Amino acid sequence: MTYHKVKEQYLEQLRDELNKHSEKEEILLDYDQHISELVNECDVNIETEQEWMFYITHRLGTPKGVARIWQEELSVSQNKTLLYFLFVNLLFFFFGGLLTLLHFTLGLQWFTELWRYLTSIPTLLMFLYMFFWGLLGYEIGKGFGANGEKLMKKTFTVAIIPNLMLLILVLFKIIPYDWFEPLLTRSFIWLCITSTVLLYPISYLGFRWGKKKSV
Amino acid sequence: MKMFNRELVKGSTSLVVLQLLNERDMYGYELSKEFGRRSEQLLQVKEGTLYPALHKLEKQAYIECYWQEQEKGPARKYYKITEAGREMLTEKTSEWQKFVSVMNKVLRENKT
Repeated sequence: MTYHKVKEQYLEQLRDELNKHSEKEEILLDYDQHISELVNECDVNIETEQEWMFYITHRLGTPKGVARIWQEELSVSQNKTLLYFLFVNLLFFFFGGLLTLLHFTLGLQWFTELWRYLTSIPTLLMFLYMFFWGLLGYEIGKGFGANGEKLMKKTFTVAIIPNLMLLILVLFKIIPYDWFEPLLTRSFIWLCITSTVLLYPISYLGFRWGKKKSV
Repeated sequence: MKMFNRELVKGSTSLVVLQLLNERDMYGYELSKEFGRRSEQLLQVKEGTLYPALHKLEKQAYIECYWQEQEKGPARKYYKITEAGREMLTEKTSEWQKFVSVMNKVLRENKT
């Protein structure tokens, strides 16, 4: 029963390579059963442990190689995806807020110039930002396929909160109006509201497109 | 006979798995055997890479799994295609056939 020992060795190596994955035991069970089936149907004359190990790794791949593919697969989870997009969206707000604050408090020339430059291209920034929301839907569709719609809605609902808060703060003049004065024209505010309304359809279209690429 | 490009085979594994499961429910080892048999061993992937592919398809709700007791030996994990999986299979098969047809046309014209 040489192959039993080799199977255990293979699974032990795979166990080590898989580290602390929560689904580790389930994964190992699949490989355990697969090797048993493989051995039962083996029509090659194999005698030594080395020969068995060569045969098993030739058919399945090395434990290291198999674990690397699992790492890639398990690195994409629903929670991680939600947190990733939430974090990136918050980063936009954080850097935007920081830039505004530093521009008004420090008054450094290069900050002022950067501020002026950015406020002169609001439409471009808005398009880039909308691209981010399209990408959010696309990535979820590509990674989670038919199962991603719920996640997309959840991620959207959570990630949109800072946008809505800023919109309310600006509309109700809670944020000093003069901070954003060059931008806050009536037409620009309407553009912001329209864009916010469009974010969901854009994310959804991205999701549909990503879903097509999921297989 | 010459094997196909590894990346090409890797990219089409999920489609082949969906097609095989559309015909009947199968367990992992059976899938890998059928995969080899149907392609006359020309579409060979390392069998160990099949399970991450199945995990991904399950995560995407294109397949589901269930355990089935055996008369002899331990219970086996079977995979079955879902309705969303069937829809995706139809879409991808049609896309693949169009691609092959266009490529054939282009390559034929190139030969003449």
